[in-house]
Amino acid sequence: MSRSAAPRRSRTEVALSIGVLVLGVGTAIGTVLLPSQGGYARIGPNFMPGVTGAGLILLGVWLLYEVLTGGWRNMPPQDAAARGEHSFHAPAFAWVSVGLFAHMALIQTGGFVLAGAVLFACVARGFGSPRFLRDLAIGFAIALAVFAFFVLVLTVNLPAGWLAPLIRLAGIE
Amino acid sequence: MHGFEVALLPMNLLWGAIGVTLGTAVGVLPGVGPALTVAMLLPLTVKLSPVGALIMFAGIYYGAMFGGSTTTILLNTPGESASIATALEGNKMAKRGRAGPALATSAIGSFIAGTIATLLVTLLAPLVVEIALKFGPAEYFALMVFAFTTVSAVLGASTVRGLTSLFAGLFLGLIGIDSQTGQPRFAFGVPELLDGVDVVVLAVGLFAVGEALYVGAYASRIPEVMDKITGSLWMSKSDWKRSWPAWLRGTAIGFPFGSIPAGGAEIPTFLSYAVEKKLTRFPGEFGHGAIEGVAGPEAANNASVTGALVPLLTLGIPTSATAAILLAAFQNYGIQPGPMLFQMQADLVWGLIASLYVGNVMLLILNLPMIGIWVKVLTIPQPLLYGGILVFATLGAYSLHESVVDLATLYVFGLLGFAMRRWDIPVAPAVIGLILGPLAETQFRRALSISQGDPSVFYQHPISATLFALTALLIVVPWVMRRVKKTRAAQR
Repeated sequence: MSRSAAPRRSRTEVALSIGVLVLGVGTAIGTVLLPSQGGYARIGPNFMPGVTGAGLILLGVWLLYEVLTGGWRNMPPQDAAARGEHSFHAPAFAWVSVGLFAHMALIQTGGFVLAGAVLFACVARGFGSPRFLRDLAIGFAIALAVFAFFVLVLTVNLPAGWLAPLIRLAGIE
Repeated sequence: MHGFEVALLPMNLLWGAIGVTLGTAVGVLPGVGPALTVAMLLPLTVKLSPVGALIMFAGIYYGAMFGGSTTTILLNTPGESASIATALEGNKMAKRGRAGPALATSAIGSFIAGTIATLLVTLLAPLVVEIALKFGPAEYFALMVFAFTTVSAVLGASTVRGLTSLFAGLFLGLIGIDSQTGQPRFAFGVPELLDGVDVVVLAVGLFAVGEALYVGAYASRIPEVMDKITGSLWMSKSDWKRSWPAWLRGTAIGFPFGSIPAGGAEIPTFLSYAVEKKLTRFPGEFGHGAIEGVAGPEAANNASVTGALVPLLTLGIPTSATAAILLAAFQNYGIQPGPMLFQMQADLVWGLIASLYVGNVMLLILNLPMIGIWVKVLTIPQPLLYGGILVFATLGAYSLHESVVDLATLYVFGLLGFAMRRWDIPVAPAVIGLILGPLAETQFRRALSISQGDPSVFYQHPISATLFALTALLIVVPWVMRRVKKTRAAQR
C-alpha cells in the first residue's frame, strides 16, 4: 500500500519542483528582454526580476534535490485517511470549477444575480447536495439580497443583467 | 485623546458595530480565517470615508478572530495556525460539556489582551515613529528582508517551501508597471495586468477558492461533529481564578512577538500553551480540557495580532496575511502607512487606534450575549456554506475593477491555493511577498541611487548592518542546530 503510494507522491513533487524551476527560467528570460535604462549602476527595472528569477531557479533545484534524496521534508501523511480525509473526489473538484467558469461567462450578460445563483448551485452540487433546483433558488435569493444591499445601500455598481429593465421600471436608479 | 472624538462619532461607532458583527458572522464560518474575512468584506467599504472604512475594518478584524475561536472550540477546525493551540484544550472542554466557559474565557481573555495590547500600541507607536523617522531607504530595505525571512524561512514546516511561496509572491509583485520608470513588466500584453496583481484577488483565490476546491475534493463527504453548548455559559469562580493569570501571561508573551516585524501569532500561542501547562496547579487536566490552556493562547493570539499593528502602522510592514490585506486596504485609499502617516494624518491614525479600544468593548458586549446566534451559523450544511463563500469571494474579486479578468485570475490562484494546501506550501509568504516585494524594490533602488550605486550603504549603516546580520543568524542558527542534533543522534 505505502509502496505503491510513494512513487506517485514523488511524481507530483517532481512536477511541482520543475514548475518552480520553469517559472524561474521564464522570469530570467523575461528579465533579459527588459531594457535596463534608468537608475544607477545596473539597478534598473530589470534588477528585481533578475533576483526573483535567480531565487526561483535555486529553489526549484533545491526542491528537486529534496525529491531525489527521499522526498520533500516534513510532509503531511500521503494517505488521505491518515489526514482524516477521503481520497480525491474528482466530481467535486469539477463542479466547483464549472460553477466558477459559468459565473465568469454569465456575470456580464446575465447579471450578478443569475451568475451568483448558478455558481451557488454548482458548488453545492459539488459538495454533495442532491437538490440542484432548491440550491438554485437559495442561491438566487442570497445573490438578490446581496445585489440589493450593494446597489441600494452601498451604491456600488454590480451588473444587473436581466434585472436592468425591472429596475428601470421601478425607477430605483 | 483626540482620537476618541473621531472614534466615538455616532457614524463611526455604527461602522465599528457593523464591522464587529459582520466580522464575527463571517469569521465563525468553518474554513474562513481572519485573512479571508477581511479580504471578502473589503468591497463593503469602498464607498465609505477612509476613517469610517478603517474603523469598520478594525471591527471586522477583531470580529473575525472572535468568530474563528468559536469555531475552533466547537468544531475543532482551527481556521488558521494561530488557533491550533486553542483547539487543543478548547475542544476538549466542549466535549466535556464546558463549551460555555471555554467560549467565555476566550472572549474575555481576548478583550483583556486586546485592550492591554492597544494601550501598549498607543505608548509604543510614537517611540517607533521617532526611530523610524531616522530610517533611510537602506534601513527600510534591511527591515523588509528581515520580515521576509522570518515569515517564510523561519516559521513553518520547511524552509524551502516557505521561500518558494515567498518568491512566487515576489514574482506576482513584479507584474505590472514598474513604479520608478514606467516600464511594463511581465504583463504579456494584457492591459488588465498592467495595474498589477491585486492582493485581494490573490488572498481570496488562495484562501477561498483554493479551500473550496480542497475541501470539496478531500473532505466534502465527511460528516462534521459539532459539540453542543450544554450547561452554564458563565465561568465559575475557580474558572475566573485560573483564567486571569493566564490572560495576563498570554498578553505578555503575545505582544512582543507581534510588535517586532517578524510576524506570526503561531509561536506565541504555542509558547503560551507550554507555559500554562508548566505552571498549572492542575496538570492532570491538561489534555482533557484545562481552562488555562484556552485562556493563555487566546490572549496571546489577540495581543500578538494587535501588536502587529505597530510595524504595520509605523513602518508600513505587514507581518501576516491579514496585515497584508489591511495594508492593501490602506493603499486603496492612497494611504501609505509609515512614520509620515502619524504626522500627516494624525486624525486618521489615532482615530483608528481609538477605535480599537471601542471595537474591543463592542465585541464583548455585542457578541457574548449573541453566542447562541453564532452557533446557529455553524449548523449551515457544508454545500450551502461553500456555495455562499464562493458567491462572496467572486463578488469581492469582481467588484474591485468590474473585470472578468480578475475572476479568471481568481480561479488560477484557486488552483494554486489547492496545490499549495495539498502539498503543504504555506500561503501567507506569497501574500506578503506580493505586497511587500514592490515596496522593498523601491527602497532598494532608492538606497542605491542616493549612494550613487555604491552597495556599501547596506552594511555601512549600523542599523541595516545589524538587521542583515540578524537575518543571516535566523537562517544559519536553526540549520546548524539541526546538523548538531543529527550528528549527536548518529553518534549515539
